[in-house]
Amino acid sequence: MKLRYIGLRLVKTLLVTAAVVLLSFFLIHAVPGDAATVMAGQAGYADEAYMKNLRAEYGLDQPLPAQLWAYVSRVAQGDLGTSFVRREGVVSIIMERLPNTLLLDGVALVLAAAGGITLGAMAARRPGSAGDSGVTVLAMLFYSVPQFWLGMMMVLVFAVWFNLLPPFGIETMGADYTGLARIADVAQHIILPGVTLALYFMAFYTRLTRTAMIEVADQDFVKTARAKGISERQVQRRHILRNALIPLVTYAGLQASVLVGGSVLVENVFSWPGLGTLAYQAVGTRDNPLLLGIFIVTAILVSLFNLVTDIAYSLVDPRVELSP
Amino acid sequence: MSFAARFFSRPATLFGFVVFAFIVVIALVAPLLSAHGPMAIVGMPLLPPGSSGLLAGSDVIGRDMAIGLAYGARISLLIGVTSTFCAVGIGVLLGAVAGYYGGLVDDLLMQITEFFQIIPSFMLAMVLVAFLQPSLSSTVIGITLITWPQVARVVRGQFLSLRSREFVEAARVLGMSDARIIFTQVLPNALPPIVVISSMIVGNAILLESALSFLGLGDPDLLSWGTMIGSSRVAMWVAWWTTVLPGLCIMVTVLALNFIGDGLNDALSPRRRN
Amino acid sequence: MALLAIRNLTIALPPGSDRPLAAEEVSLEVNPKEIVCIVGESGSGKSLTAHAVIGLLPRGVTATSGSILFDGTDLLREAPEALRKRRGRDIAMIFQDPMAALNPVLTIGRQVTEQIRAHEHISEAAALKRAADLLAEMGLKDVATLLKAYPHQLSGGQRQRVMIAMALSLSPRLLIADEPTTALDVTTQAQILKLIRRAQAEREMSVLFITHDFGVVADMADRVAVMRHGRVVENGATAGVLGEPAHSYTRALIAAVPKGDRYLPPPEDSVPLVTVNGLTKRFRRGGLFSRAPTVTAVDGVSLTLRRGETLGVVGESGSGKSTLARCVIRLLDPDSGEVLLDGADIAHMKERGLRPMRRRIQMVFQDPFSSLNPRERVGDILIAGPRSFGEDLGEARIRAAETLRLVGLNPQTMHRFPHEFSGGQRQRIGLARALMLRPDVLIADEPVSALDVTVQAQVLKLLDEVRQQMNLAMLFITHDMRVAAEVCHRVMVMRQGRVVEEGPTRDIFTAPASDYTRALLAAIPGHGAL
Repeated sequence: MKLRYIGLRLVKTLLVTAAVVLLSFFLIHAVPGDAATVMAGQAGYADEAYMKNLRAEYGLDQPLPAQLWAYVSRVAQGDLGTSFVRREGVVSIIMERLPNTLLLDGVALVLAAAGGITLGAMAARRPGSAGDSGVTVLAMLFYSVPQFWLGMMMVLVFAVWFNLLPPFGIETMGADYTGLARIADVAQHIILPGVTLALYFMAFYTRLTRTAMIEVADQDFVKTARAKGISERQVQRRHILRNALIPLVTYAGLQASVLVGGSVLVENVFSWPGLGTLAYQAVGTRDNPLLLGIFIVTAILVSLFNLVTDIAYSLVDPRVELSP
Repeated sequence: MSFAARFFSRPATLFGFVVFAFIVVIALVAPLLSAHGPMAIVGMPLLPPGSSGLLAGSDVIGRDMAIGLAYGARISLLIGVTSTFCAVGIGVLLGAVAGYYGGLVDDLLMQITEFFQIIPSFMLAMVLVAFLQPSLSSTVIGITLITWPQVARVVRGQFLSLRSREFVEAARVLGMSDARIIFTQVLPNALPPIVVISSMIVGNAILLESALSFLGLGDPDLLSWGTMIGSSRVAMWVAWWTTVLPGLCIMVTVLALNFIGDGLNDALSPRRRN
Repeated sequence: MALLAIRNLTIALPPGSDRPLAAEEVSLEVNPKEIVCIVGESGSGKSLTAHAVIGLLPRGVTATSGSILFDGTDLLREAPEALRKRRGRDIAMIFQDPMAALNPVLTIGRQVTEQIRAHEHISEAAALKRAADLLAEMGLKDVATLLKAYPHQLSGGQRQRVMIAMALSLSPRLLIADEPTTALDVTTQAQILKLIRRAQAEREMSVLFITHDFGVVADMADRVAVMRHGRVVENGATAGVLGEPAHSYTRALIAAVPKGDRYLPPPEDSVPLVTVNGLTKRFRRGGLFSRAPTVTAVDGVSLTLRRGETLGVVGESGSGKSTLARCVIRLLDPDSGEVLLDGADIAHMKERGLRPMRRRIQMVFQDPFSSLNPRERVGDILIAGPRSFGEDLGEARIRAAETLRLVGLNPQTMHRFPHEFSGGQRQRIGLARALMLRPDVLIADEPVSALDVTVQAQVLKLLDEVRQQMNLAMLFITHDMRVAAEVCHRVMVMRQGRVVEEGPTRDIFTAPASDYTRALLAAIPGHGAL
């Protein structure tokens, strides 16, 4: 049964991706200004003939439906086209940057979840206490801060004033580390951007965990657990927290696309070589194929992530039946 | 306890309300605060706060930071409130219809909101604003587009659950028309979460607007807080006030709005039965 | 010496509650091997008193004075850790709603062994074996599968048996049962009560049983304490209290329990207003791709409603009685069959044709808390119906005042909001709302199930009077046979969507034709004793 469910979900992912392709295509091509003008401007030529050649080369002079068809058939074969600006295959460009974004997002998610759940559980144990108020206000604070600005402040404090951590990039340039030394180097570089990205979501998870645990604590089965005489620690862990996790898993799924979106800003501030900075550059240069490619890849990633969280949800809550 | 009593009973909410009121006032009187506008060059660049009578110093090209911050409040609030208004309007309309009638309309709406959940929304806003040419209206459109699905989902959920409440069933039995039921029975009871989410969305819209301006995608004729931070990036290491102050403004405004939202949530909670 | 002695216990509620004290100077005793019932209506403090004994008062609620002596030790002054050790081992408690009382994400086996292992050092495997024996002892079948199952996969009766098994697992001296059968079907309730009685006798345990139902008291209790507004008003051996109640409140409580012997004869020559033929309604869970089975909630049901006559539809949960009512009034669309009102079939009419017909049939709902719009004033709630049919505002207001008087409420209170009224008053408002359109047919869907028994008696009397005065045809849905006997001329018994039998009330109650009806009648708590 699980296999059937996964199969259906993958089909759904495909359909959604197709929708993304279509909508993004029309979005990008329906607005004024085309790539040829931009490229010509960059190259320094404004020659009409040159631009005509460019358009022919990239198929920009074809009617829109023809362009769409050409594009869709190539995508189906795994070819996301060629970047206007870099003259390289979009797929290879994206694949080069993808691991960096995944690394950053992964670290941020783990930090946010671990930190958020711990703090939220702590606050929920004694609602209304000083500790609870402190945690709640702190969470509210990090929820209200603009991420890019927070990143800049982190750089200011930790890199400029105290010179503790590197402010830019994924590894020290020109150092050419390998093996363990390289991992250590990357680890050092990921701390600031990872924490910056994590703090917003950690605030969210803290509030969510706290609310969920307070609500669960009022339920009858918690009373039953105490009536059975089991230790308070077990009541908190096995009965309250365990049930509070259910809404958390749901929200983890919803966070995926926001996480990717947030990483655009953080990557920008820290010059992290990931998909976010790539997308930003592509917007600036009207590099349509690259932009479309990034959209498609991110949509697929988020869909897969949602699939994973849905399965996790069904494991965490035995009442749920998997339905596509 | 009356609504006002409940609302102001939390110190955090009171703080948020006062701070937000202050910011609104500043935004309104900004043009009166000085003879020169935010774009005027008033002195040497990168003057620290307090020098030459400049309360917040000057920025990278010598503009008055304090006036810039005051005008920035206007932009942020304007865009924040307008986008929220549009997003909530669309979201309530679609969510109400989908939640009340269910069926195909509901399925369609759910597919659309799922689609928006899967697309990286900030990237979408970025692309939209860039390609529509950065301006006040394109920013509002971009923010509205990526925000309305959340509102629609919440409203849909509310209408779905209210629809099966006995007093709504009673209204149907009484022969009331659907429109009358939606407006007189369901909507007044669905309002509290809509109000709460609206205040959160204004805060979120301000954050989004500042992010877009920071990336250079804000209206080029206007100086918003995000633009100030973006343009002062190069000077960050030597003139902290050019980036720290606008950022603090954003943070304090959004924080105040979130506190207000929390307070509203508490004050509008349904009465508990003993 | 008494096993449990509560002396002058006072329990305070947090500031802002509707009353300052939940219990005031409560004193009562439970001797070894005896069953004591605390009986009272909502707000009597019976439940919180029970919670105080096991030390599980909710946040903000505190026992401010008095003592609770268990085997000589004052539980109120015992250290928290020592108290925890008693829970589940010396004193055990079971609660009202077994679905809410079991952890939804743990298996049944785990939940039972968890308790055993909290008090004894044995392995999981050994604990599991004991759990299996316990569940079998409680009458549960297929124990091996049950241990691996989750609470939502069990029926209400099964869950309550699991709860009892857990409570008895360490052979406590005292079992506290807080309304354990209120949320169960009447036949299941009878089985659970029997189970508790058997367990008590076998284990020579004492039971403190909280209930609102004097019928249950008659069946279960050796001694009974009657509580009202936080005080014990009467206390004594069950036979004595039932036979010669000393306090006026006790008398009122006993009198309010419907005896189930009224047997209104069906009026002769009454005109049929509504005829239902072969009504069927199916539900399918899940979405488009779901393989969930279709549930036939109502299966080919036929009935006739006559002017001046009340037809009762009795059944347990899942019998389809509520669905039937909703199909007749077109809140749900039936899949097949006809509902003839004055010869016109309203079962499949479009809303446009249906609307004018709606004036003729109205409904009174079950839950007094959610059947009135909390944000609408009572006066507006009443005139909403007539107004939507174009009636003049002034006239509607005048009629609203009249109708309020008719249902026994003061018309001056029209400007208030629903939350300012009690449960019984809200049901009266609901009735007034239905009567504003001057219907010929009234459907009452469990109109008194959520009310206290004394209030219930008043509302039933009101419904009967209104039916007489306005010569209505009434369809009365209920799960409580005693209530049905009180107001119905004819009774129809439903089970799993089908009609089991139908006839005049007297015939159904004194000479039931089917085994199921007989089982329902036998399950009525306290039948015969009251």
